[in-house]
Amino acid sequence: MGILKGALTVRRYRVEGEVPDGFRDLWIEAMNSHAFREPLSPLHKEEVMGWVQVHNLLDTQFDDLNRWLYNQYAVFALRVDKKVLPARYFQAHLQKRCEAWCKQNNRERVPSAVKKELKEVLEQELLRQTLPRVQVTEVAWHVPDGWLLVHSQSDRVNDLFRKLFFRCFGLVAHPFDPVDFVADLEGVGPALLASGASDLRGSEA
Amino acid sequence: MDDTVGEGVPPHVASEFYLWLWYTSDGNGGTFTFEDGSVAQCWVEDRLAFRSAGEEKVSAVLTGESPGTTPEARAAVRGGKVLRDVRLAVRRSDREYSVTLRGPAVELAGAKVPGLVRAGDEAETVYERMFLYEELHWVVAQLFRAFGRERASQGWRESVVPAMRAWLEARA
Repeated sequence: MGILKGALTVRRYRVEGEVPDGFRDLWIEAMNSHAFREPLSPLHKEEVMGWVQVHNLLDTQFDDLNRWLYNQYAVFALRVDKKVLPARYFQAHLQKRCEAWCKQNNRERVPSAVKKELKEVLEQELLRQTLPRVQVTEVAWHVPDGWLLVHSQSDRVNDLFRKLFFRCFGLVAHPFDPVDFVADLEGVGPALLASGASDLRGSEA
Repeated sequence: MDDTVGEGVPPHVASEFYLWLWYTSDGNGGTFTFEDGSVAQCWVEDRLAFRSAGEEKVSAVLTGESPGTTPEARAAVRGGKVLRDVRLAVRRSDREYSVTLRGPAVELAGAKVPGLVRAGDEAETVYERMFLYEELHWVVAQLFRAFGRERASQGWRESVVPAMRAWLEARA
């Protein structure tokens, strides 16, 4: 949480590109087609991502504008799911299976091809029982002013967000740069970028 | 995506801004007058995080009430450390904020904004929260612009840096 309640920890972007006339209708379609979809198979272990509503991570329909567009603000969330098997638990089970196979076949070692097969079967069994790790990151976009907030400062999450944002809207989200604060002040930006003007180290440094 | 946060902004920019904020708020009692004539109070609240020059990771953190008044904080700067994060308290009109300015991109983290609207009306909550965020962002922008003007002026090397050095030594 954060956009709607709690402390705000955000990365700010400026949005580059034209927002088309009649964007509301266009975006309903865009949001729906880039909404989060559960993988068809419970064995899916790749990362899956898409938009969800901020109210509930299971709400993936954007037909009702009143649920995500509040005048100038579009508010939605990025959901990223990934199934991850606990490595030590997996290795422990694999070891037991290998031991059982050796005993059953009266062999000292498991051939690599057999071990690979045991690994695949075990992985499928455990993936079936495992819930995905679910990450939800809220987004608030001031559409007319062309800036937005992502409620995360994780580079990985922000990278996923920017990719999906571009695919969905055809607009580029550029990370905010503090020098943008002084863009209209002549000569200030270049002066700030020059280093070495503020060495404050004492004699002990 | 080919550009990442903070890319193109040398890390010394934010570090100098944080130090200037600390120094200036210590000297002016935390009162800043902005371009539009409005006034806000800003001061270092309860956290200063330092990094070694040339590194990204935090190497020392000072927390507690008014860490900026401690000899350790000044010693860290005199010893060559630079600020990476600073937690600020901000008061504008009757609204009080608390926020960490973090890293080279001056990102807002853990920002506590005043809660005005009663829970229930979601649209009102969005407008209010965004208004408060924008006000906080505007205050940070105004502080940065004041810093930028001073940093780009002739007086930076001639008078501000010596005054900051004296300030660092004063309570050593």
